[in-house]
Amino acid sequence: MTELLRTEHLTRHFKIGGMLSRRMLHAVDDVNFTIGEREIVALAGESGSGKSTIARVLARIYKPTAGEIYFQGKPVSRIRSRPEALRYSSLVPMVFQDPFASMNPVLRVQHGVLRSLKLHRPELSGQQRTEEAARVFEAVGLGADMLERFPYELSGGQRQRVGFAQALAMRPKLILADEPVSMLDVSIRIGLLNLMAELRDKTGVSVLYITHDIASARYVADRLIVMYAGQIAETGPVDDVLANPRHPYTQLLLSAVPDPRAPMSTAGEADRGEPPKVIDPTPGCRFRYRCPLAIDTCAQVTPVLAELLPGHDAACHVAQSARGGAEQVKAFT
Amino acid sequence: MLEVSGLSVDYVLDHGSVRAVDDVSFTLERGEFLGIVGESGCGKSTLLFAVAQLLAPPAVVADGSVKFEGTNLVGLTDGQLSAIRWRDMSVVMQSAMNALNPVKSIGAQFKDAMRAHGKPSKQEIAARSAEVLRMVGIDPVHLKSYPHQLSGGMRQRSMIAMAMLFTPDLVIMDEPTSALDVVAQRSLMVQIKELQLSYGFAVIFVTHDMSLISHFSDRLMVMYAGQVDELGATRAVFDNPLHPYTQGLLEAFPSIHGPRVPLKGIPGNPPDMARLPTGCRFHTRCPLAVERCSQVAPDLYQIDDALVRCLRRQDGSLSSPQQGSLSR
Repeated sequence: MTELLRTEHLTRHFKIGGMLSRRMLHAVDDVNFTIGEREIVALAGESGSGKSTIARVLARIYKPTAGEIYFQGKPVSRIRSRPEALRYSSLVPMVFQDPFASMNPVLRVQHGVLRSLKLHRPELSGQQRTEEAARVFEAVGLGADMLERFPYELSGGQRQRVGFAQALAMRPKLILADEPVSMLDVSIRIGLLNLMAELRDKTGVSVLYITHDIASARYVADRLIVMYAGQIAETGPVDDVLANPRHPYTQLLLSAVPDPRAPMSTAGEADRGEPPKVIDPTPGCRFRYRCPLAIDTCAQVTPVLAELLPGHDAACHVAQSARGGAEQVKAFT
Repeated sequence: MLEVSGLSVDYVLDHGSVRAVDDVSFTLERGEFLGIVGESGCGKSTLLFAVAQLLAPPAVVADGSVKFEGTNLVGLTDGQLSAIRWRDMSVVMQSAMNALNPVKSIGAQFKDAMRAHGKPSKQEIAARSAEVLRMVGIDPVHLKSYPHQLSGGMRQRSMIAMAMLFTPDLVIMDEPTSALDVVAQRSLMVQIKELQLSYGFAVIFVTHDMSLISHFSDRLMVMYAGQVDELGATRAVFDNPLHPYTQGLLEAFPSIHGPRVPLKGIPGNPPDMARLPTGCRFHTRCPLAVERCSQVAPDLYQIDDALVRCLRRQDGSLSSPQQGSLSR
């Protein structure tokens, strides 16, 4: 795997409360991961787990509180000049969750594509820009006749494809897709997931696929990162993590996914799914309040990721102590 | 207990009307859990609103009746309806944040609902409010809380508690879990089922996520473009889906178990209700459609114990489930 992007101790805190408040919300805390070339990495977790914050930090919408992002080996915090910033944002574009809110309703859908082409690829002539727009529309499965349409004429699935076309026009290396299918109907979602896989295979782009739907992550992603309360709970090859979840939270998440093909799981049934508050956290595992396996250490020492299986890491004291992680400890099955 | 027959709902607009719900009939037994699934715009929420008589203009009931415990609700005045609402039939909406009053405490909202039906004493109100909150697993101290102080799951739970104030015979739910995370969602579903089993009320549960209710509903109704496409026992619909649309829906979401198989989803988009295709409304997206499907509008046919709106099922040209499957 050739590394494309890597984060080192990426942290983002938000001040909350009034002007004099010193309370800090730890949205993302000490997160380390890499994204390779031609790779779809799924970032999964419940609402408030910090997954969207990570996307925004990677897109340079937020500055990290601490830590560093390395893109193609170079630190992103060193970006100073406007040309450099433009270059980065054209290589790492974002696709948003709500296809109904992310487009200007009074402009034709080609507007977004043409604008970004003008900004990011100024060498192209007007004619070339139109040709390029038609090409990227084709690549996402929309006819060139769609270019002239207005957003209201398109269905949700088509609008989300326009979102991907806009990203693609900039010849990106990494697309940050923040819940790109969650607003779409079930029958349309698969088409978009297939599109992401196709883009990876044909154009070699990588995708950070942010989702709360673990089944869709399994369907499309190569690797999976499970977030809990701003930290990575578990990460590894997607099939391996789902077949062999080491972190109790991953196990809980998997047991709760409704699956009509399987009998209902009763594991963790009593768990209310209340998201944790990460305001001025004290050391210790953030999942310990919901974890049936929690031991004394969990309340004192924050667990860090350790490799338990090849390429498969979990941040859990109990899982790590079970014969160095070789054995699976089950909290929820 | 509930008998909906030939129910149609029109949205009356300046340039003509659009039929959002077309000739829907079903019955509901006491204590039964009916799931209604379909994509956005298929008329499932409009149908719910029509059953609860909550439609607001431009939507009007154009035809049909809703008989609830012997009374036809269609055409009743608001005054007559309010005697039934909350007491015999209650509604849990999709977004509790919008359904709850943000400037009133939970307890005050419970009090309003109770005062609307009789003259309970302060003690009665306090006792019953605390009781229903406990039923959904929330500490009664939250009667003093305002909606913004509760998590999404707790808000939905308090909406359900409010619907339980009078132990109604029918609770209508419109995607009550769609804003929740998967763990919270499962926990809420289990709770709804437990309450239903212990208090014996009937539930109509609308959702776009079929898999969510697969373990909870007794019968399942699949809607497409304003019509019922399939209605049968939940297990039978999942194991042996008869309508190509139902099959498409089932094969449209990936599983976390078993081998990773490429899925196709359903091609195309749901039709514009103002410009419906001729014949079967699904034929433009149906991989199994034959010429006749574009000419003849299918009825709802009885096949075994299920009702299916598919010409090819009716004439037997699709007989085995394998033949109907889109991906196999």
